[in-house]
Amino acid sequence: MGQRRREAAVPSPPGNRHSDMLTVAPQVPAKKHNICMVSDFFYPNMGGVESHIYQLSQCLIEKGHKVVIATHAYGTRKGVRYLTNGLKVYYLPLQVMYNQSTSTTCFHSLPLLRSVFTRERITLVHAHSSFSAMAHDALFHAKTMGLNTVFTDHSLFGFADVSSVLTNKLLTVSLCDTNHIVCVSYTSKENTVLRAALNPEIVSVIPNAVDPTDFTPDPSQRHDDRITIVVVSRLVYRKGIDLLGGIIPDLCLKHPDLHFLIGGEGPKRIVLEEVREKYQLHDRVRLLGALEHKDVRRVLVQGHIFLNTSLTEAFCMAIVEGASCGLQVVSTRVGGIPEVLPEDLITLCDPTVRSLCEGLENVIARQRSGSVASPASIHAKVCTLYTWRNVAERTEKVYDRVAGQEVLPLDRRLVRLTTHCGHVAGSLFAFVAVLDFLFLLFLRWLFPDHLMDVAMDTTGPQGLWRGALDDRKGTRSKSAMLKNEKAGPHQTKL
Amino acid sequence: MGADSGAGPGPSVPWRKVLWERQPFPDNYVDRRFLEELRRNEDLRQYRYWAVVREAGLVAQQITCVALFVTLWLYMEQGLLSPATLLWTGLLCALLGYGLYQALAPQADSDNQQRTRWSDLQSAAIFLSFTFGFSPVLRTLTESVSTDTVYAMTALMLLAHLVAFPYAQPSPPGSLSLNAALFASVCLASRLPGDRHIPGGAHSPSSSLHTFTMLCWALLVFALWPCLRQRLRERAPSGFGCVCVLMGMCGVVGLGSLWPGGAVLLAAALGAVTLLCPLLLIRLQSDKDNIQGPWDEAEIREDLARFLH
Repeated sequence: MGQRRREAAVPSPPGNRHSDMLTVAPQVPAKKHNICMVSDFFYPNMGGVESHIYQLSQCLIEKGHKVVIATHAYGTRKGVRYLTNGLKVYYLPLQVMYNQSTSTTCFHSLPLLRSVFTRERITLVHAHSSFSAMAHDALFHAKTMGLNTVFTDHSLFGFADVSSVLTNKLLTVSLCDTNHIVCVSYTSKENTVLRAALNPEIVSVIPNAVDPTDFTPDPSQRHDDRITIVVVSRLVYRKGIDLLGGIIPDLCLKHPDLHFLIGGEGPKRIVLEEVREKYQLHDRVRLLGALEHKDVRRVLVQGHIFLNTSLTEAFCMAIVEGASCGLQVVSTRVGGIPEVLPEDLITLCDPTVRSLCEGLENVIARQRSGSVASPASIHAKVCTLYTWRNVAERTEKVYDRVAGQEVLPLDRRLVRLTTHCGHVAGSLFAFVAVLDFLFLLFLRWLFPDHLMDVAMDTTGPQGLWRGALDDRKGTRSKSAMLKNEKAGPHQTKL
Repeated sequence: MGADSGAGPGPSVPWRKVLWERQPFPDNYVDRRFLEELRRNEDLRQYRYWAVVREAGLVAQQITCVALFVTLWLYMEQGLLSPATLLWTGLLCALLGYGLYQALAPQADSDNQQRTRWSDLQSAAIFLSFTFGFSPVLRTLTESVSTDTVYAMTALMLLAHLVAFPYAQPSPPGSLSLNAALFASVCLASRLPGDRHIPGGAHSPSSSLHTFTMLCWALLVFALWPCLRQRLRERAPSGFGCVCVLMGMCGVVGLGSLWPGGAVLLAAALGAVTLLCPLLLIRLQSDKDNIQGPWDEAEIREDLARFLH
């Protein structure tokens, strides 16, 4: 039945009403997809995954695809909401368990997700983040319903401890019959291939992007009588805040004109406060607390050097944002970070206090001698490196490839699960897959597909948001999105 | 920049592991250098059999301690040993052990020994007087609880003691394991026959003496002996081995005198823990497959607390 829906979804002529906006105009009438992005993490939650889903969806809408997003309800934000350009978001009433991730029982989300997939005539389910239980649930149900699946992994994971052994097993089960996987860096690809025992051919590397218009330099905001080091990150262990606590007193002692500007909030704030207290650096180390996304640039442009002390990072958008604002970037050499910026834009150090101090001192010396590139020239270099349009183009190719592949029917899916995921987990999840299939049959009997209302398309070839889209052409900033959402109270009960 | 593979023969430029450059390869391209930074079993420790046996001996020792304690309780429960005899033996053992402990003390802290002895005496006096004073209370503490529950609780607590015991740093024994053991001893002490045999009833001194004896021995076996054993291990490794074997044999023989089946089980357990498990560990070592790579979270190896204190 997934087959039938896919044929129905193929549009006749591709909507090329805004091909002028594309960097590369599609020459062949490309196939348009009905895509459902699923993740536990979406606005109003803030972070890399959230903005990735949002920006990618906007660019795909721009390319004429139909995109809807499914996430769980955030407080009073539940039901259906429309964001900029008619991006429809389903906030499903699923119970949140830990860290904004829903719990997973493999079954309870099927009725809701099935009704979203069926009503929206989805042909392709794109799940995001391995920490999101809802994403894994959606993959599982989509495969049961015969839909093509794509998964994007945004994070790195180790292999050494019990929790990672279990998570990696779940990832193996979840990804063994997923059509294609996207990773944000080559290191992340190696990690995911190893964790989920995948064929590397079905894993593509498509980096994250930043909106360069959001991060432009403004040297007039800098104080020329001092050197300011900016840190913008959550203040947690994984971001290496303990290292930062070691760097601050060391460097402040050596350089009396050095100032630190630290944006972000988290449990490790206490470390920085103690350091500030002990070394009497209240006037030189400013802790700004949690920053809203729109304030990040205002903080970044005040600095000369951007410091990132992360202990693990799949891609690290923060250093690209820092460089885009024209700052000298100093970072630890961990995870995918060495792949992100060319050598002349970044100084890489080992994750130790000494190495980071050396790296910073080199950059400080260069800054004093005036031998660093101007912020404008750094911005000019960075702004072409990572764009969302490029990401969307490459993701579109993944979709085109996946759409031509077959979804494993139940019998072959069971064989795949039992041969690929080990005897115990494989058999267990094969059993769960059968139950899920039976549950789906029951739901189809209870609420037949042909009796379900088909939702209006706001986006895609038959999208009804046309007028609004033309009005707001090219405005994809988050503030515009939030404004639009407040203005348009399109909300229906699920 | 295609997403599909099958781009034909590889382009002349070599692939680089960078994201900032648009390379003429498909996004799912797999280079020869894929996973070249993968490292396997980097911090692998090669174990030697007898070294592991020596370490595993500590676990066997603690099992023996539990067995000895239960044997003592059995003896008292069946009226084969009077609490007074046991108390005197205990005192003797404690004094002998204390002497040995002091004799084996490292030379460095010999200068402040006078003060230590005085404080040792103080702690001993406080403990003894408090335990003696509270014995009647402790004896009746679990009176209203059914005997089955008390035995089950004892077994659970002794198991908890074995699991929570800090084998890597046994001196002083961790508070969780010590508390579990003392709780078990209070449970056991309340089921000693004292007040049921003597018609005097609940205030019979012999029953309280039973409890007192039991607690003293619990302290000897579960708190003081591990400290002495650790010092023996540090200062006289050869003597330590002999003591271990001797203790194991004492445990088996003592239990065997009352319950031969239990002794066989104990001997089997001790043998399995000291001889079989190390063998298994070394055998399974070849199956170890630990992978490391650039995706691992970096470890902070420095002592960063120095910046704060």
